[in-house]
Amino acid sequence: MAKPRIAFFDFAGCEGDQLQIANLEERLLDILGHVEVVSFREVATGHSDDYDVAFVEGSITRPEDEIRLKEIRKNAKVLVALGACAAIGGINCLKNFLAENVYREEVYGSSARWFSTYAARPLKSVVKVDAEVPGCPIDPTEFARITKELLLGRAPWISDFPVCVECKQAGNVCRYEMGKMCLGIITRAGCKAACVSQGAHCWGCRGLVPGANLDAARIVMDRPGTSRKAIQDLLRFFLGDTGAAL
Amino acid sequence: MTTYTVYKEQLPRLFEKWSEAHALYVPARLREGFYDLVPWKPGLEIAWDFDVAYNSPKRFLLPPRETLITFNRKTCEAAPVFEAPAQILFGVHPYDVKAINQLDQLLETGAPDQNYVRRRAATVIMAFEPLTVSPSAFWATVGAATAAHGYDLYWTKIGPASFTVEVGSQRGEELLAMGGPLLPATAGDKEGARRAKARIVFKARRSGLRYNWEETPRLLAKCWDSPLWRRYSQMCLACGSCNLVCPTCYCFDIREEADDQLEEGIRYREWDGCMLESFAKVAGNHNFRPKAQDRYRHRYFRKGKYIYDKIGELGCVGCGRCVRACTAGIANPLKVFNELWEETTHEH
Ligand code: SF4
Ligand code: SF4
Ligand code: SF4
Ligand code: SF4
Repeated sequence: MAKPRIAFFDFAGCEGDQLQIANLEERLLDILGHVEVVSFREVATGHSDDYDVAFVEGSITRPEDEIRLKEIRKNAKVLVALGACAAIGGINCLKNFLAENVYREEVYGSSARWFSTYAARPLKSVVKVDAEVPGCPIDPTEFARITKELLLGRAPWISDFPVCVECKQAGNVCRYEMGKMCLGIITRAGCKAACVSQGAHCWGCRGLVPGANLDAARIVMDRPGTSRKAIQDLLRFFLGDTGAAL
Repeated sequence: MTTYTVYKEQLPRLFEKWSEAHALYVPARLREGFYDLVPWKPGLEIAWDFDVAYNSPKRFLLPPRETLITFNRKTCEAAPVFEAPAQILFGVHPYDVKAINQLDQLLETGAPDQNYVRRRAATVIMAFEPLTVSPSAFWATVGAATAAHGYDLYWTKIGPASFTVEVGSQRGEELLAMGGPLLPATAGDKEGARRAKARIVFKARRSGLRYNWEETPRLLAKCWDSPLWRRYSQMCLACGSCNLVCPTCYCFDIREEADDQLEEGIRYREWDGCMLESFAKVAGNHNFRPKAQDRYRHRYFRKGKYIYDKIGELGCVGCGRCVRACTAGIANPLKVFNELWEETTHEH
């Protein structure tokens, strides 16, 4: 059987997710040994339009992005959203809470009218997405696992429960018991509660868990000593494209 | 059972000796108001007055993640993986000993869980009489104040620098003897231990069930349709924290991962919990407990009835961990059972 051909693409994002993949180093060679990479800016030059699996990074922020993304969709048998920007819109969506003239000025200054831009959105707002590798940045081991599952013809599994599960597995003291806020209660797990384990709190970078109880979460977050503004800022940080951010 | 008296000054030597062949865990303060069993090292300050270990002892017997088998995709061969490090848990409160006894019964009967059984056999339990009570605990009123068995040694602090140590197994006695000649406890010391127990149980009774805990299964049988389930579960985040922190919850999910050559692989298990939305999802995406209300009720039936029907004890030992862990403030067997009790009594 011919090796599946895979390609990497990026839209508005930092290419941090492709860098995370490059960081797999020796493991990357083993995994990529099962495939033929036809396009990957972080580790090789060259490009082809003949591929089976497209890993797409970044969010859609300009009307013309849609044309290119639809082209990729047409060429690829499987389209995988790579990272928060592609999967959930991520931090790019922060600008959606500003007036258009404000962010255009901010980014492009006096030449703003030369550039087209619109509200940032995830890939799934434009095309059908077959699988997601969530996170900002993605977890390289999860990328490796999902890729292997695709190679084995299995439906790639991503966790469908909140970060709290992995946080409890790790044995961390809950931020709420320390009088702090944390988005682990509504965020999809899979990062092993990385930020809490490192002493911070969850920012929601992996997107909403299916069935997230947002009404309850807002009540839980609204505690003495926490401002409504702080809650809103946290909910908008990564979750701007979801129903969580008001 | 034989009881000995041990002095604090003997402990460093004992710990030193034990840690030569065991991983030794002792209670320590994590931060103001938070304690846990942590790996012992010389000089570590023991938190004798810990109210509850933040993480329940089940993680030593049923780790959050554990490999069960390795397999080869080409040859279709598989081999079981057993890990059972020799370990000593020093400072397990009686309600947690009871929780372990429950796990023993539930995981060793029927088709014994071999991974659990092996870890358990390699684990020495040194029980410790609590000196303080966690604000969310209610163990004294759910029949979990005393553990009649399940420990190798039972330590009670009877003075600023002295303990009585009741022997629960030969293995325990041998470990104790590693510190030198053993000193049988005097009648006075034993009386001191009895009083220490009475004192803490009295303190722990401050908050608790308003009725005899043995009524709980009968109470629940009447409350399947109570409006309480919906009222509380509206706030449920389906985060599973209440399950995962619980010393008696033992559910897990099983997954597999191939290695990077796609030749070999492992099957492993990870903690799971009945409060998670997908827990009861089966083939065809059918979920037999799709609503938060169903899941919430199920957990209390599990704690108050289903486990009782199997082993004659409540599935809740009243440690209060879930009460603390629930950010939504709704996981609370004490409150739920008491409110159901009031509800049904007012019906007459
Ligand atoms: S710290 Fe955050 S992720 Fe961890 S249990 Fe608490 S809310 Fe959940
Ligand atoms: S803890 Fe939250 S913010 Fe941090 S990596 Fe995990 S999902 Fe992202
Ligand atoms: S149900 Fe709650 S209080 Fe009861 S044993 Fe479990 S964690 Fe402790
Ligand atoms: S800890 Fe609370 S919010 Fe989380 S699943 Fe349990 S009851 Fe629901």
